[in-house]
Amino acid sequence: MAHQWGMVIDLDRCTGCEACVVACHAENNISTVGEDQARRSRAKHWIRVERYYEGEFPDVQVKFMPVLCQQCDAAPCEPVCPTFASYHTSEGLNGQIYNRCIGTRYCANACPYVVRYFNFFNPVWDKPLNLQLNPDVSVREVGVMEKCTFCVQRIKAGEIKAEAEKRELKDGEIQPACVQSCAPRAMVFGDLNDPESEVSRLANSGRATKLLAELGTRPKVTYLQRDAWHGHENA
Amino acid sequence: MERRDFLKISAIAGATAALEGCGNPDHQLIRFVPEEDLLPGIATWKPSICTQCPAGCGMMVRVMQGEAEVIRKGQLGLLKMGLAKKLEGNPAHPISQGKLCPRGQAGLQVTYHPDRIKNPLVREGARGSGQFKEIGWDDAIKQLASQLSTLHTSNPPGGLAFVTGPLRGQRKTILDAFTTSFQGSYAVGAAFLDDSVARAANGASFGHAAPGTVDLANSNYVLSFGADFLGTWNSPVAQNVGFGHMRKGRPGMRGKFVQFEPRISQTGASADEFVAVQPGAEGVLALAIAHVVIAEKRKPLASAGHAGSLIDGWAQGLPDYAPEKVAAQTGVKAETIARIAREAASHDPAVAIIGDSATAQTNGYFNALAVNALNALLGSVGKPGGILFGAGLNAQASKSGPASLELFASQVSSGAAPVKVLLVYNANPIFSAPTAWGVRAALDKIPFIASFASFMDETALLADLILPDSSPLESWLDDVPPSGSAKFVMSVAPPAMAPLHDTRSAPDVLLDVAQRIGGDLAKALPWKTYDEAIQAAFAALYKEKGSKTAKDADEFWSRAKDQGGWWTDEPSATANGASGGRPIKASAAQFDGEASQYPFHFLPFASQLFYDGSLANLPWMQEAPDPLSTVMWGTWLEINPRTAQKLNIQRGDLVEVSSPHGKLQAPALIAPGVAPDVVAMPIGQGHESYTRYASGRGANPISILAPATVEGTGALAWAATRVKLSAVGRSAMILFGGSLTEASPELKHR
Repeated sequence: MAHQWGMVIDLDRCTGCEACVVACHAENNISTVGEDQARRSRAKHWIRVERYYEGEFPDVQVKFMPVLCQQCDAAPCEPVCPTFASYHTSEGLNGQIYNRCIGTRYCANACPYVVRYFNFFNPVWDKPLNLQLNPDVSVREVGVMEKCTFCVQRIKAGEIKAEAEKRELKDGEIQPACVQSCAPRAMVFGDLNDPESEVSRLANSGRATKLLAELGTRPKVTYLQRDAWHGHENA
Repeated sequence: MERRDFLKISAIAGATAALEGCGNPDHQLIRFVPEEDLLPGIATWKPSICTQCPAGCGMMVRVMQGEAEVIRKGQLGLLKMGLAKKLEGNPAHPISQGKLCPRGQAGLQVTYHPDRIKNPLVREGARGSGQFKEIGWDDAIKQLASQLSTLHTSNPPGGLAFVTGPLRGQRKTILDAFTTSFQGSYAVGAAFLDDSVARAANGASFGHAAPGTVDLANSNYVLSFGADFLGTWNSPVAQNVGFGHMRKGRPGMRGKFVQFEPRISQTGASADEFVAVQPGAEGVLALAIAHVVIAEKRKPLASAGHAGSLIDGWAQGLPDYAPEKVAAQTGVKAETIARIAREAASHDPAVAIIGDSATAQTNGYFNALAVNALNALLGSVGKPGGILFGAGLNAQASKSGPASLELFASQVSSGAAPVKVLLVYNANPIFSAPTAWGVRAALDKIPFIASFASFMDETALLADLILPDSSPLESWLDDVPPSGSAKFVMSVAPPAMAPLHDTRSAPDVLLDVAQRIGGDLAKALPWKTYDEAIQAAFAALYKEKGSKTAKDADEFWSRAKDQGGWWTDEPSATANGASGGRPIKASAAQFDGEASQYPFHFLPFASQLFYDGSLANLPWMQEAPDPLSTVMWGTWLEINPRTAQKLNIQRGDLVEVSSPHGKLQAPALIAPGVAPDVVAMPIGQGHESYTRYASGRGANPISILAPATVEGTGALAWAATRVKLSAVGRSAMILFGGSLTEASPELKHR
């Protein structure tokens, strides 16, 4: 059976540190756009950490939630693409074929999670910052939409390696850059078609929720709600 | 680059390579023989050590073959070389445990930064004019050696000062030996976020002058007094790993985390309970918790041992600290204090942590001693789930602290310290010191300043000679991290790649200078190169500790180089060994500035992305949204919504913040997490000079701080300044994302 890649993000572990955000930039050749373009809301972060304040000081609470492409099974971004640049891969990813993309931005408008990013200009790396580029990931040119791929280059490399060694992929063998960097281990990645995988097990947890599930997008990212402390004064 | 252009250039490269030696050398593209066996497209992983903050995380560097345009032997050419492509945590390393923080991830951009100082420079124009001339290394080292040689013959002898950031391992050995071999020299520490208060307090309470390792993974109840331990304090990656485990790594057991601070920090955001506390009242609050634990006989007061005996009134059960008596002073309700005390005492192991603004008050030392006593009472010192102090070398690094920058500046300005030569390594004293210390004026009095800076920061700009350090990925590294793991850890890493530019590793330059000067200096530094010194340290370690797997010192060394260091299998925590010291009475925090004239506490805080400001030059850090404010490419001032309403300040208003020692301007961010009488500002921006990405951006909160010190230590009390506010105009802040549900036009990112 084909893999169905999914992710679980445990909000009880997430500390909002942004390591995933920077790791993603480093792995996926996401260009920085600079102050002026950032001011025009054109900064690109395939994964971002959302922050919610609740209540008034001193009874105030903050919650963090990393948001990335939810790799929906019923993805609103896919049917709207006139050139089939946004498409569903056999392993359940919301693929984006850059050289098919003509920049209609329909997909970004359709996406309820606001996780698609448009290249308003060609990317620029002030030399020699270009030397940091990951040769496994193509850079995207002006007029092209880009988004989280679940680090498809790492998925492919893992699959090729396992095939060459004539064995099955091990659970946890493939880690997207965000997952690998995450120090409190809030993020878990794996095969949802494998009922024994950690990601499948966690996705069935009682704390599991999907982001904007009511829209019927069937995301493959599962959030585990922040838990409460169960102790008491005189345990 | 267009594909067609690329093909054109490739064709030219091929042709000119064949015609090597002909034509204008500037237009030649010369291919060098690869230095190592790298296969195109195949990644090699090399160990390294993160130097973005002092935690000392072990890393793995993904190295791949690539072509870099570099100058070699005076000619520009394309060099086929190994290039670092990605940094990850080293899974075997006890501190990082395979993980890395955002600052660590961005370490790559230090090496590839377009504004690195690429070769030695000598000042040409007036000091501070920024006019430098490129010179060769031989000339540069000769100039430094000749300046230093005159110090030996001068009368009175002396006149060398060495200003550094935090130093450990053989880097520290070399710099210390270098400095002390000059008579009457000064070693000066210039780290803004230093841990000297924690070290002093832990030394007094427990006999370990070290920051200590918090064993969060095994803890059941965590009380943190101001410590941003999931962001920037102590060893953040190790603490994040432990925190995740405490929360959800133990089936059926989830620890509680309570944060006490005047402003919700990024760490406080993850707390199960946030308790707002008056600035400077953290120690009193800790003792009130201890009072309840003792009064209700949940733990015997004697269990606090020596740490308890240092607190006045401990033996009597802290009668002055009954919750109802201190509720007003701390701003915490008596019943909240009592409940938390009962919870903590009944959920072993519980641990108390103190750091950041709680130790940066004038009474920060008392606060730390109070929290230490609470820790001892809860029985968490040296126990799993508590605070651990490692044995041996891990604690060694702290024996002699450097002089404070404040004292140094005042002595130089007054003439009491006749400094003739100043060396600056891994420090930016102009940026990291309050203007009131007069560091700038002191530096102006010093005739010769040499810097090892990689970037033209505010201090390097004043140098007469710059000997640019190679980047950490291009250098040998060693480290003996004092916290983050209870295991004994000694890290080492060979360079992950060859230097891109004409730079040299600073310890190597110092050893070179020592050999040229000769005499006592050369005797004090018996190594030709820095890696020789590291190897010597590992030979000594092998002799002391032995090895289960290596058959001799050589094998021990080569294994350490391969895996990124050497560490014990088991934690090596040691018992307490403190004695002596007089009991300390509670002292109220003093604040600079009259409350009537300066109504707000000014709370600078370490930035998750810029740390102490030293990472503001990295574009990934500038464009990453701050976790709490989501601000990019700028700075902000956090104001409580009610306060803002009272002062008629809106989000994005430009606010002037004035202290008795200076003023600055920053855009207002209405922040629900900051107390009404506190305004908070991140450290990091406000560089006058720090590359194209950071220069002239935002304001530096350090600049307006009062020169207040933490009583009992010489440390800067950086949370002890009061300010007043006035709106002076409008400013534009760049906010990213915000959230899916509250996306206002300003918050929307598209």
